[in-house]
Parts: sequence; structure tokens; C-alpha cells
Amino acid sequence: MTDIKHHAYLFDATRCIDCRACMVACSVENNIPMNKTRIWVAGLGVTGEFPNLQRSTMVYHCMHCAHPDCMSACPVGAYTKAEDGPVTYNPDKCIGCRYCMNACPFGVPHFDYDKGLIDGAFIDKCTFCPQRIYNGQEPACVQTCPTDALEYGDRDELIKRAHERIAAHPGRYIDHVYGEFENGGTSYLILSHVPFEQLGLPTLPETPINEVSEKVMAMTIPFALGWGAVLTAVSAGVALYEKKKNGKAAEEKAEPAETSK
Amino acid sequence: MTQTISRRDFLKLGAAGAGALALGSMLPPRAAQAARASGQLDAGGNGYVHSTCEMCVWRCGLIAKVVDGRVVKLDGNPEHPHSRGKLCPRGQSGLMNTYDPDRVLTPLVRMGKRGEGLFRKASWDEALDIVASNMLKIKEKYGPEAMVFSSTHNLSQVQFENLLYAFGSPNYGTQRSLCFNAMITAFLLTYGIEEPSRKYDDVEFILMVGRNMMEAISTSETGELAHAIDRGAKLVYLDPRYTKTASKATEWIPIRPGTDSAFLLAMINVIVSNELADCDFVKQYVIGCDGIQAEMRKYTPAWAEKITGVPAATIERIAREYAAAKHNALAHPGWRTSNFVNSFQTERAIATLNALSGNVLTPGGCLSAEVAAEGAGLGMPKQPPYPRVSALRLDGVSWKYPLVPLKLGVFQELRDAIITGEPYQAHGWFISRQNPIQSLPDRNKTLQAFGKMDFIATVDIIMNDTAWFSDVVLPEASYLERYDPLLPVDGKAYIRQPVVEPQGEARSALWIYKQLGERLGLGDYFQYEDEEDYIRQQLKPLRVSLEEVKEKGYAEMPEEPKGEITFNTPSGKIEVYSETLKKAGFSPWPTWEEPPAPKEGEFYLLTGKVAQQTQFGTQNNQLLHKYSDEPRLWMNAKVAAQNGLQDGDWVEVVSEVGKVYIPLLATEAIRPDCVYLTPGYGHLSKGLTTAHGVGASDSALHVTYTDPISGGQALSQTFVTVKKA
Amino acid sequence: MKLNLTLPKFLRIGTLPLVLIVLAAIAVVVAMARYAYGIGAISDLSYSYPWGFWISFDLFTGVVISSGGFLMAGTVYILRIKEFQPLLRPAVLTALLGYIMVAVALLVDLGQPLRIWYMMIYWNHTSVLLEIGICVMSYLTVLAIEFAPVVMERFPKLHKAAHFIHKFIMPFVILGVVLSTLHQSSLGSLLLIQPQKLHPLWWTPILPILFFTSAIAVGLAMIILESSLSSRYFQRGLETRLLAKLAKAIPVVLVVYALIKFGDLIVAGDLGYLFTSGWMSVLFWAEILIGVVFPIVWFSVEKNRVNPNALLTGAVVTLLGLILNRFNVSWFAVKHPDPLFYLPTFMGNVKYFPTLPEVAVSIGIFSAGILAFGLIAKYFPVFEDEGRAAHAGD
Repeated sequence: MTDIKHHAYLFDATRCIDCRACMVACSVENNIPMNKTRIWVAGLGVTGEFPNLQRSTMVYHCMHCAHPDCMSACPVGAYTKAEDGPVTYNPDKCIGCRYCMNACPFGVPHFDYDKGLIDGAFIDKCTFCPQRIYNGQEPACVQTCPTDALEYGDRDELIKRAHERIAAHPGRYIDHVYGEFENGGTSYLILSHVPFEQLGLPTLPETPINEVSEKVMAMTIPFALGWGAVLTAVSAGVALYEKKKNGKAAEEKAEPAETSK
Repeated sequence: MTQTISRRDFLKLGAAGAGALALGSMLPPRAAQAARASGQLDAGGNGYVHSTCEMCVWRCGLIAKVVDGRVVKLDGNPEHPHSRGKLCPRGQSGLMNTYDPDRVLTPLVRMGKRGEGLFRKASWDEALDIVASNMLKIKEKYGPEAMVFSSTHNLSQVQFENLLYAFGSPNYGTQRSLCFNAMITAFLLTYGIEEPSRKYDDVEFILMVGRNMMEAISTSETGELAHAIDRGAKLVYLDPRYTKTASKATEWIPIRPGTDSAFLLAMINVIVSNELADCDFVKQYVIGCDGIQAEMRKYTPAWAEKITGVPAATIERIAREYAAAKHNALAHPGWRTSNFVNSFQTERAIATLNALSGNVLTPGGCLSAEVAAEGAGLGMPKQPPYPRVSALRLDGVSWKYPLVPLKLGVFQELRDAIITGEPYQAHGWFISRQNPIQSLPDRNKTLQAFGKMDFIATVDIIMNDTAWFSDVVLPEASYLERYDPLLPVDGKAYIRQPVVEPQGEARSALWIYKQLGERLGLGDYFQYEDEEDYIRQQLKPLRVSLEEVKEKGYAEMPEEPKGEITFNTPSGKIEVYSETLKKAGFSPWPTWEEPPAPKEGEFYLLTGKVAQQTQFGTQNNQLLHKYSDEPRLWMNAKVAAQNGLQDGDWVEVVSEVGKVYIPLLATEAIRPDCVYLTPGYGHLSKGLTTAHGVGASDSALHVTYTDPISGGQALSQTFVTVKKA
Repeated sequence: MKLNLTLPKFLRIGTLPLVLIVLAAIAVVVAMARYAYGIGAISDLSYSYPWGFWISFDLFTGVVISSGGFLMAGTVYILRIKEFQPLLRPAVLTALLGYIMVAVALLVDLGQPLRIWYMMIYWNHTSVLLEIGICVMSYLTVLAIEFAPVVMERFPKLHKAAHFIHKFIMPFVILGVVLSTLHQSSLGSLLLIQPQKLHPLWWTPILPILFFTSAIAVGLAMIILESSLSSRYFQRGLETRLLAKLAKAIPVVLVVYALIKFGDLIVAGDLGYLFTSGWMSVLFWAEILIGVVFPIVWFSVEKNRVNPNALLTGAVVTLLGLILNRFNVSWFAVKHPDPLFYLPTFMGNVKYFPTLPEVAVSIGIFSAGILAFGLIAKYFPVFEDEGRAAHAGD
């Protein structure tokens, strides 16, 4: 536990019994108000026709992405990605624009729509239980999971473990560890017996999805300077041209006066 | 949106409750001082305290984090065998149970009519005097048997029973006949023990009949089962409903309710007819190996197919797979199986299957008959002998139910005796840590029985329904606020100690029973000063100090020498053929009993636990409420459509004894001939501000059916009609 | 008894202003409720729908309809096409009020409206929204400077200052055009970070280019609209000759837009979605037919460019179509979390429909903007340049 270079979670959908101990533990550990939650369940639930049924649910919280889209999108930089994994939100900078909620492909940031001007409306999301993981404990959700559907450890180790588990039980899992490469990699890894969309996970490419946005943003200043230069040149050119024209016109104007006299 | 602060006009509990919630107790922290003295909490009231959970019967060891004298987090104790560092959702919500704004924190005395909810606060002295004087009055006038005592099994049960026996009443109600009488009686008769223990390390094949382990969570066992499946063990799970356990099972058998024993008897038939069991080995320990082939001949898979709806080939295959796993096969004892009268026979068949596999005969096998008697190895306060009891038990044990152990009883049958006054009229009822109004089938009957009582006193931590209808409510401290007697598990005696000081005037059951006992003139039976003295007396033979135990969380107990595997039956062997049953006039073999079936247009009414609630006691817990599914009536989606019902429609559910209204859940996860109602809701008490008005009561619908052999209540033998409300 | 209801002159207002005042007042009341009870109390926004009507209407639409300002400023000052001078001041005023409306709307929509200025001190340089914020705040300043002379001309004492500004207006105009280009295109860039949420018929890496191009068309149409309505309301003449020229430019711009748009769809291989995407296809073709095809066809006919009614009709339809595009990109074509089984149930709101109070806030702010336009136009020389030569360079 002390040798964790990059903190991560591993969720095994075949072990999850949807008991929600993790959710209660998180709420208690982090003192979450009754009408809010940092961790929730999604998925198709029970599918099929009686008696050929299947169950697919997943426990969600922040994916602690390697290339967090919330961090990329936030105008005031209220999100940071620690070197050892957790993505942290800082309410002191937040202006409540909710762009992070749009940017996050997993719908993680939760905005407090019930707070007025005085209390202030902020975002809430999983913090990776820093008060626990930096004190030799597991995150609250992981520790209490009765079936070890949620596990915690070093990211590389968990990925290795996940692949080993897939290999040890051929046919049980989709041969893919979600989060290994999705969106450039996340720190919440998932093993599943059903296609990941059925758990409510979006299909994402390996390249981080903020790539295009950041590339375009990087062009802003060069573009602005260039465009400004062009406009300056144009306006100077047009001004010059007009002066020439006016000059000629003034000359022409003067001439007829002379000739007509 | 649920209220976090209660709003009641008459019931002025809110003030103390809200105050406690906001500030923690203002009283000098006697218990917390004790914790600080033992080094677990520092001077500021911060630290970690070992204790035991009480959110269900599994009693996981926990470590509570205390900050400023308030418990802020509960974690499973990694060294406790029942939790192994984990807590289920109810365990995690335990502090909300302590800080529930609806806690009863002072003794209450009824003012208005029963059920109106009008109470006045009283001091402990006054309240205890009222209770004692009423009980004595009844004792004098009608005899001690006119007092009924009921309590759901808990760690202070030994003192509750002490009170009962010392008082001299035979009338003892526990929840067991609503739960697992069938299992306990069957295993007592077959193996001589109440409940064999299970080990999943090497199990290869698990057969479960009901026992929805993934929702009726027993933390460590749920985890072990999950890991066994994970490892590759095969789980065959019989249940008419696609529960969460069904979704983890290798094979889910949607069996017709009430017919599990047919399935199991056919399995036994396949095994013994094909000599798949190692009968030579098994024979030395089992009575009945010789005659079993002949007896089981009639229970063929083809016969079972007609009854259960499960294809004969499937039954045959599963029987063979079970037998092939030999002693690594486990037929899980379960608790209630299908909840029918014939569940006793189902359990007998399960016991037989285990015997045939040899698992219970294998040291370290997946089933074990070695069970230490509760409290063995621990000390006890001295006690004078109990008075003789000559009166008959009102619940029919043992004159109507010769085979039901006294400590189990047949709780649900008490009420008819009370209502009719036969064989004699009961006049008083003392209830502790139990909610019979909600838990007994046929709620109207329970209310009727309550109506016949001259006096009802209840010990509870919150204004549960039974407290709502009582004359005096005595506030028990919640499990995070009190001591209870030590609980031995796997060679260690675990402590429950106060994590925070009790709020208001709540006190422990140990204290309440002693106070009551003294006022009843039974002080000699309660020879302990206080809770700590009681535990010190328990620890005496172990020669370890209380402080040490509080610090560590447990005391080591001397190892019991392991002898030969013996069974506590009359013959000393496993009695698949039971002479005891024969003498009592019942079939000595596990046998088929035809269950009743619903008529055209009726459904089996199923019940079953959910992971986020514990029976009838937790619906008011706001944390659990937040993460619970909305209680609904499950109906097969196609059947619903046929009946013109849509998901979400309000429906009227009618049984022989009651009627409820609830929204429908149209789902594929249930047999077409069944409906399921989320249990535990429909509370009557307005003192439960979160739970009141939520869901409907399944007990209001359940008809009372008692198995004559085990006394178990057949909760699923009720049939209902469903139509749009 | 007869009531003597002679109102003092300044209180006698027409019906339209009265209606606008009432709408604005309603918006104020709703805003107060928002500040007291939170955004959730008056809107249907949720975890799945953090942006809804306000962002689509107040931000996306509000910004794009203010694009006439930089167009006219660039035309008159940079390209020195002086004949458009009469249209300059109204366009700048429209833009100025438009951006003020955006700012006011943000003060209601932001979770921490009092921290709106944080974008000036906390910078995350990868954020498109930061760029928009800084650009809009800066451009508001530029517009204020560009419009200041109009106000100053009313007060003889300030004529010198007005003259001063005129002299040094060029750098501000250039800055204004640069800033406008940036943020008009960046509104499209906002969606670049949601490639898997915005439908492929709209998402493309060249969204900023598309947004900028269509913003030009919107600006042109807005000038036509504002001129038409002002001339009707204030009973002034209509600069039909000028508007005809603007109307001629619209098809050119939109053809370029269409080429870029469909060219991009071909390059991305997304043509298959055109007719197979259900409601998305409907919305796409509605936006194209109404906002692109119709204006190209309509304004290619000279008759429609010179007839006041035809001008107005064409402008309105163009605006509707292109505003539909803004709504599509910011709301209708954006995938919000699917209605998979959610627990706890308070997370289950994956449907969104703007509430009446939500719409009322936007309409109220918009009404206040129109009201402001009317008042300023009435009391300040906004339309004074008609028929006069420009002062630039004097």
C-alpha cells in the first residue's frame, strides 16, 4: 500500500451485487448532504426475457482521468491532476459555469442547484478520499465492498491484475480493461461481463477527447496576432489608396475650376 | 424530500433529538470517560473504538472513528471473522441509526389512546415503577403466565430470558418462527445442532434454496460466496424471483414456490438410486443409509418435473454434478427456503443431501457441525434457581408443537391465544428490541391481540410501530452507545462497548433489565453492579482485564479440544431417518407434502430481503432510505400487460386478511404466477418521520400458516389478487 | 366622481415599452428567486443538463446576433466603405446592448455570479470558455469606446472628447474585429471537447470556422432586421439601398458556409447521417433549408433585396434558421446521459424542458435590451448619420 505510484481503482462488474455499501460509506466518510451523492449506480439493470435474464450495473464515481476534460475545460483552472493520480476540485476558484459538466464524458461533476447566492453553488465530486489514502487506508468505498468488486492499488498493478483475471476465466469477461486507454487512460478501471455501453460507459477513443479543443486553443494567440496584423495592413493599405484617390480628386476638382474660369 | 428534523405537535421528542443531533450529549461523558481511560479516545474525544454492529444478526466487528465525541465513520474490523474489514450498507449507515432525529431519548408514558401517538415524558424512576407495578399487578391477579415476554434475539438476550424465567412466565416470543424454525428444527433433529457452519475455501458446488445471500447480506459469508463463484465454484440457485443472487448464480432455477422439496427429493433419488454417494463411508455416521433407496424411489425427476416445472433432465444433471463434487459440494442450510409449511421437509432434504455428500463428515469441509455453545467458556453472574413454571405456553409449545425447541417458540400463534383467551387470557406484554406489529403476519390480528392487553411496555431506541402502540416506552441506548454481553466468535470473545456516550437518557438493556428486575423483587437474579461489572464477571475465567479487551476489541478464549466428529442426536449419528419424528407422529424420512397453490387469478405473494434494509427496523434510517429502491409490487411484465397494468400504476393487492396499495413494477425478473412486495414498509408509526407513508406493509397481507412440526411461519403461502387501484 | 388621470408627460409610455418593462420586471423577480433559492428552484437544469435554454438563447444566440457591430465597424473604418456609415451606429449599439444582455444573463446563470471577474485573474489557457469570457469582456469595452461618441455628442461639453475618440478609433476597431472573430468562432469551439456528445452532423474540428462564417450572415441579417424594425417604430426612412447591398452579401457568405459545411461532412465521411438520423436529420435539414438555402435563394432575387417587406422577411427567416443552428449545436443535438437505470432516484432527471421562469428570465433580459435600444435611439444621435458623410479621419 505504501508503494503506490499512481492511485487507481479496479471495479469488477461480475462481483458487484449492487448492495450500495460503497455509496453509504462514501456519504458518511465525506459528510455528503442527504440529497447529494458522489457515487451512483447506472447500467441497464435486468435485461432479457424471463427466464433468460442478465444483470448489468456499475458503480460510478469520478474516473480520475489521465487527461481530465474537466481540467481542460474549466476557465479558471479549478481542477488539478495530481502526479499520483487524483483529480481534485478547488471550490475557491469556481465560478459555477458548469462547463466541466459538459466536458466530462462520464457526467461526474455534480452542481449544487439548491444553493443561492449567499451559500454559493459549487461542484461536488469524488476526491479519492485523500484523508484515507495518504494515511495508509483504502478509499471508503473500496474498503467496505463485501465482495471486493471494488479494489484499490497502483494503476499498473491493477491493470496487470485485471488482464490476469480475464485470462484466468476465459469467456467470463469482455477481453478489455476499460480505462486502460480510454480518453488517454483513467484511474478507475473496469472489468465487465457485458459490453461496456450496457454499464452506461461511453465508448471513447484512446486519444484524449480534449485533444482537438486544446489544439484549437493553442492557436488562439498566434491567430489573433496574425489576424490583427492582416487587418492593420489592410486598413493602412485602404487608407493609403483612399488618400491617393482623394488627392487625385482634389486635383481634378481644382482643374475644372481653372478651366471653367 | 425527507425531513431531517421532526415536526410533531404532541410528541415532544424532537427537542431532545434535535439537540442531541446538533450538539452531542451535554451530560458528563461517563462512558466516553471510560473509553478515554482505556486509551481509545484522547482528551478531545477523538480516536478509534472497537465494537460490534447490530444492524442485523450477523454482528460484524467494527472500528468506529470518533471526532469530538461524535462517531463520524464506521469501518469493518479487519480482524473480525464476520466483517473482515468490511461492512454492508446497513453497517455503514449505523451512525445514522444513532443520530436519527426520531430517537426516543426519554422514557415515555402514553396519554391518549393506543396508536394516537400521544405520550408524555417521564423519569426513569417513574416509568420503571409504572412498568413494574403493572407487571406485578398482573402477576398477582392472573399469575405470572399472564405476562408475555418477547424479544428478537440479541446480545442481551440472556438477561432478557433471565427476566422471563425469574418472573415465572413460560410465554416467550422470539422472531425465530418467522425466520428459520424450519431450518433449526430440521438440523436439530438430523444433526443435533441448530445451524451448521459453512466454509467456502474449497467448495466446488453450492446448491441454494432461496437464501438470497447477495441481498440478505451476511458480510463475510456474502464475500466468501462471491469469491467462491469468482474462483470457479458453481452455484445453483432456486428462487422464483431473479434476485441479485440469481444474477450471480451459474444456474438460476425459477422454481415454482413451495416445491423446492420435490426438487431436492428428486436429487436424493438420483444420488441414491445410482449409488453416487459414498455410502460405505457415510453409513457409519448416518442412520437411514439402508432404507433410503426404497424410500426415495417414488421421487423421480419426472415426478418432480410435473410439480416444480423444472425439466427432469435438469434435475438429474444437477444431482449428478452435486454428487460429483463429493465432500466439496454444499447444500446450503439457508434460513426460510420457500417459506411454505413444507419448508421443514425442504430443510430435512437439504440436511440429507449434505449427509450424502460427506461434507459435514470431512474435517475442515464446507459444512461443519462443530458449534460452540453460546457463552461457553465465559463467566456469568450467580443466580438463584428459577421458579417452577406449571402453566402451558400460549404459543402451543410443546403441547401443540412437541418438536419445537422452547427457545424458538411459535411466536405467531401467541395472538390467537390472546384473542380467544384460550387456554387462559394473557394480560400484559413486555417487548424488547422487537417490532411484532410489523413483523408478525396478519397485522390486523396483532393489533387485535394488542387491544386485549391491559398493559404493554416496549424497550426500543426509536418510536417503532410497536412502541407507537405501547403504554410505556423505555429508551434503549443504540448499539454505538452501550455495552452488551460479550459475543464469542471463532475462539474470541468480542466486545460491544459505547463508542459515544448515550444521548438523552437512553440506557443499555443490561441496565434496564436489572432495574426492572429489582423493582419486580427479582434483584437476586441480576447480580451485577453495572454493565462493566457484568462483563468483568464474564471475563473472569479468561483472566484478562476489561481495559485490555476494550482496547483490543476482544478476549482470547481457550481453544476447545477437537475430538471425534459426533452428532448430538439420540443415536449420536446423523439421523436422516429420525425415530424422534416417528414417535411424534410425523414422517421419519424427509418427505413430500403437497403445498397449496393459488387459484385462477391469484398470485403467490413472495417476500425476500433487500441489501439496504433490515426487516422492519431500518426504514427510518435516512442514509438507507436515500440509497434504497422505491418499494413496489413486482409483477411479471407480460402478465402485467395482459392484465392491463403498466409499470408505475397504483395497484390494490388483496389477501384473505388484508389489503394494501402500492405502485407496480413490471419486470421480467419474476415468475408469471408470482408477485413480490418489498418487505418492511408501510409503517403505522407517525413517529418515524422518514419511513411513515413510504411503501405498504406485507405483514398486513400475510395469512398465518404454521408448520406443525417446526412451528415456522409460512410467509409465502399467502395468495393475493392484484388489480388497478 | 370622475378620476383625473392625466399622467405627467414622461410617464406616458406606449404599449410596447410598457410590455417590455413588465417582461423585464418579471425577469428581475425570477432572478431574485434564483439568488435566494438556487438555480434548481426556478429551472429544470440538472446533472444531465447543466446547460439549457439560458446558454442557448442568452449566450449562443445573444453573442451571434451582436455580430453586426464588428461587421459595420470593419466595413466603415477598415475598408473605408463610407456609404455604410448610417448603419454603423445602430449596429454598434445593437452589439453593445447584445453583449450587455449576455453579461446580465451570465449573472443569473453562473453558480457564483459575484465571481464573474475571476476569469480576469485565474486563467486556464486550455479553456475555450476562458477565451470567450476574456474576449467578451474586452470587446464590451471596445464597443463602449466605439459607442461613447454617440453619447458624448449629446453634451456640448464632451464634444472634444468625442472628437478625440474618433481620432484614435482605428486600433480599437481592429482589436474589436480580432476579438469578435475569436469569440464568435470560439462559441463553436466550446463544443470541441464533446466529440462523443455532439451529433456527427454538427461536430467537426472546424466548428469555429463554421460559426464565424455563419456569424457574418447573422450579423448582416440582424442589421437588416434592426433597421426595418427601427424605421417602422420610429417612423423614419429605410436605407433600402444600403440594406440591398447587405442582402446581396448574404447569399455569398452562405454559399461559402454551405460549401465548407458539406465539404467537411464529405471529408469526415459523415454523409450517411444526413437522412438516417431521425430527429437529428430533421433538425439538420430544417437549419440548412431555413437558414442557408432559403436566404441564398431569396436574396438572389433582386426584387427581394429592394422591397422593405421582402428584406424583413428574408432577414427574419435567415435569423431563425441560423439561430436554430445555435440551438442545435448547444442543446438539441447534444447527447445527454442516456436514461439508464439510475440510483439514487434524485439523479434520474435525464429529460429537460425549460421552465416558464427560465424562459421568462431570458425574455425579460431581451426585452430590457430592446427597451434600452429604443430609449437610447430616442434620446441620442444613433440615427443621425443618415444622409451625412462620415467623420473618420477628420
